[in-house]
Amino acid sequence: MYRYDEFDRDFVSARVAQFRDQVERRLTGEISEDAFKPLRLMNGVYLQLHAYMLRVAIPYGTLSSRQMKMLAHVARKYDRGYGHFTTRQNIQYNWPKLADIPDILEDLASVEMHAIQTSGNCIRNVTADHFAGAAADEVADPRPYAEILRQWSSLHPEFSFLPRKFKIAVTAAENDRAAIQVHDIGLQLKRNEEGEIGFAVHIGGGQGRTPMIAKKIKDFLPEAHLLSYITAIMRVYNLHGRRDNKYKARIKILVHETGTEELAAQIEAEWAHLRESELRLPDADIARITEYFAAPELAVRAEGWTELAAWKKSDPGFASWVARNVRPHRHPDYGMVTISLKPIGGIPGDASADQMEAIADLAEQYSSDEIRVTHEQNLVLPHVALADLEPLYRALQAEGLATANSGLVTDIIACPGLDYCALANARSIPVAQEISERFGDQARQEEIGDLKIKISGCINACGHHHVGHIGILGVEKKGAELYQITLGGSADENTSIGEIVGRGFEPEKVTDAIETIVSTYLSGRSGTDEAFIDYYRRVGAAPFKEALYGDKAEAA
Amino acid sequence: MSTIVWNREGVVEDDRWASNGEESAFVSVDEAMELAATGGSDIGVLVEPADDVSRLEAILDRLAIVALDFPAFNDGRAFSQATLLRDRLGYEGEIRAVGAVLLDQVPFMLRVGIDSVETGHEPTARRLTEMRLPGIDLYYQPSAKPAEPTNTYSWRRRAAG
Ligand code: HEM
Ligand code: SF4
Repeated sequence: MYRYDEFDRDFVSARVAQFRDQVERRLTGEISEDAFKPLRLMNGVYLQLHAYMLRVAIPYGTLSSRQMKMLAHVARKYDRGYGHFTTRQNIQYNWPKLADIPDILEDLASVEMHAIQTSGNCIRNVTADHFAGAAADEVADPRPYAEILRQWSSLHPEFSFLPRKFKIAVTAAENDRAAIQVHDIGLQLKRNEEGEIGFAVHIGGGQGRTPMIAKKIKDFLPEAHLLSYITAIMRVYNLHGRRDNKYKARIKILVHETGTEELAAQIEAEWAHLRESELRLPDADIARITEYFAAPELAVRAEGWTELAAWKKSDPGFASWVARNVRPHRHPDYGMVTISLKPIGGIPGDASADQMEAIADLAEQYSSDEIRVTHEQNLVLPHVALADLEPLYRALQAEGLATANSGLVTDIIACPGLDYCALANARSIPVAQEISERFGDQARQEEIGDLKIKISGCINACGHHHVGHIGILGVEKKGAELYQITLGGSADENTSIGEIVGRGFEPEKVTDAIETIVSTYLSGRSGTDEAFIDYYRRVGAAPFKEALYGDKAEAA
Repeated sequence: MSTIVWNREGVVEDDRWASNGEESAFVSVDEAMELAATGGSDIGVLVEPADDVSRLEAILDRLAIVALDFPAFNDGRAFSQATLLRDRLGYEGEIRAVGAVLLDQVPFMLRVGIDSVETGHEPTARRLTEMRLPGIDLYYQPSAKPAEPTNTYSWRRRAAG
C-alpha cells in the first residue's frame, strides 16, 4: 500500500488547519453559507436533509486495518455508530456536527486519510478495480497510476473550479470491474507489443440525467505521458465545457456537442505543447510508487485445497458462500473474498463500528492487512489463503457479514434516497430492503443467478440505475413516489445503458414487478448458463413488457 | 464596502487600473487588437472567460496589464487562461484577477501566474490586508508560477523561498 512520506503528511495537516480556519469563519458568520459551500464541498462536506454529511476518500478503494479501525472510531465518536460505503469507493457519515469535522479530519490524518476533493467541481477520488493487485487477469496493478493521479490532482490550482465534478477510473483487466466506461475519464491499463505499459483512454462517460458511454480517444498512451495527456484533457474541458446549465456541464456533453473526433483533435493539439514538459513522468518515479504496491509475501498454503473440499461437503452454507463470494487469486492457494454489506433486508453499504473493527481484525489476521471497498458497496479481503476460508467464514458469520450473495439479486446497489438526500424524489433504501426480503431465500437466489439490481432516488443516478441489469429510478408524479424500471444496463467491458420498460410503478408494486421480470427470465432462458443480461440481450424487452403490462403495454 | 487592489507586497494604493466603481480603464480583447493595430500601446485588456487568450499573442508587447474576469467564484476558466498566458504565450507583464475574487481562491490564482487581485468582498479584503492567506505551501503539481522542486517526485513542488 502507498504510505505517506513527510510531504504528504505535512500537506494533509496543512489542509486540516486550512479547513479548520474555514469552518471557524463560517461558525462566526464571517462567511455566508453561500461562500462556504464551495469550500466545504472541496472537503467532502455536504448539507443534507437532516444534517451535514462527511464523505471520506478511500483512494482507489484500498484500506489497511489501521485505517478501517479509524473509520470505526469516527463512526462511534462523531456519528451514530455506523458509516455508509458508497459506489465511489468512499465512506459517508450522515450525522457529524460541523464543529466536529475539523477534529474528525485530524483523526483521519493520523492514519493517512482525508476528505479532499470528495465533492465539488474538481477531480474526485480516483477509483480502481477492487481486485487490483490480486486478480489473476490483470496486466499490472493499476493503483500506482491511480495514486499518481490522486497526488497530481490534489488541490490543483488550475482544475479546482471545473464546469462540473470530474471522475477518473482505472482498470487493468479486460474484465472491467471499475466501470470505466461510465466515467469522465476511463483508463484501461495495457501493454503494447514491446511489453511497455500504457493506457487506452476513454472520455465522456457518465450517468445522471443524460447517461452516456465513454468514447475511446487514444488506443495507447505511454505511461510516461499520463499526466501531460490528462492535463490536456482537463484544460480543454475547463475552457470549453458548458457552464450555462449544470445538467449540461459534464465532459460527456462537451464530447457529444463537439464531436469525439474534433474534441480528440483539440486535446491532441494541447497535448503537443505539454508532452515533453515537466509533466512527463520519469521511469524512476513510476517505479518508486509501484514499489509501495508490491504484492504481499504469500506463503505456500497448499493444504487449503483438500481442506476446502471437505469443508464444502460438510457445510452447504459455507459452500454457497465460497461459490459466490470467493474469486480465484493470482496465487493458486489463495482467494479474493467479498464481504457482503447486503444482509437480507439490510441497508446496502452500511456497516456498524463493531463490524468495521471486526473486519479490520480479520484483515490483519487473514488478508495481509488489506481491505478493499468495491463500487458495488461491498468490502473485499484480497489475499486470503484457501486454508483460512473456513475460520474466516465463521468469524464473519458471527458479525452478520457472511451473506453469500455477491453478484446475486439481493446484492443491490442503492443510493441514500429520500431517507437522507435533499435532492431525492423517492426512497431507495426501503425499496432495496423489500426486494432483498422477497428474494432472500438462498436456493432461489442461486437459481436466478447473476443479476444486478441498482436503485437511484432521482435522475442523478448515484445508485447507477442506468447500468443495472434491472434499474429502478424514483420519480415524482403529482406529489407521489413512482418507480421507473429499466432493463439491460451493464457497467462492465460491454457497457450498456438500460432502457425504460414502460410506465412506472407505485411503491407497493415495485417488488411484484421485479418478481414478474425475474419469472419472465426464468421461464424464457435457454438454461442456467444463460444469465439474465444475456437473455435480455438475446430477446429484448418484448416478453418483459408483455408480462408487466399485458395488452396495455405502452412505450414510455 | 470598498474595493482594494492587492498583490504579494500588500495593498496597492492609487493603482491606475483600479475600477473604483467608475468606468473601467480596461478595453475588451477586440478593442485591444484594434488599438494595437493602430499603434496603441500601454493597453489594459479585460479578458472575459469565453475569450481565446491566444489572440493576444501578437500584441503582448503592447499590453500594460491583462485583467482576467472571474464572473462568479465557480467559473474557473481564468485559471487556464492565466496558465496559457504565462506558459504558452510567455507573457511577462502583470495579470490581475477581477470580479468575484474570494480569499480561498487567491492562493490558486497566484500559482497560475496571476500577480494581483481586485476585490470588493469585505472579509476577503480584510484578510488580504492583514496578509493572512489560507494557502498551503506544498504543491502536488507544477504550475505556471515557478516553485522549488522537492527531492521526492517529479510532479511535486514547494513554495519558493
Ligand atoms: C446524499 C448526498 C448526495 C448528493 C447530494 C448527490 C448528488 C449528486 C448529483 C447532483 C449527481 C449528478 C451529477 C451530474 O450528473 O452532473 C450525482 C451523481 C452521482 N453520484 Fe451522487 N449524490 C449524493 C450521494 C451519493 C452517494 C451516496 C453515492 C455513492 C453511493 C453517489 C455517487 C454518485 C454517482 C456514482 C453518480 C453518477 C455518476 C456520474 O457522475 O455520472 N452519490 N450525485
Ligand atoms: S440519486 Fe438522487 S436521491 Fe439518490 S443520492 Fe443521488 S441525488 Fe440523492
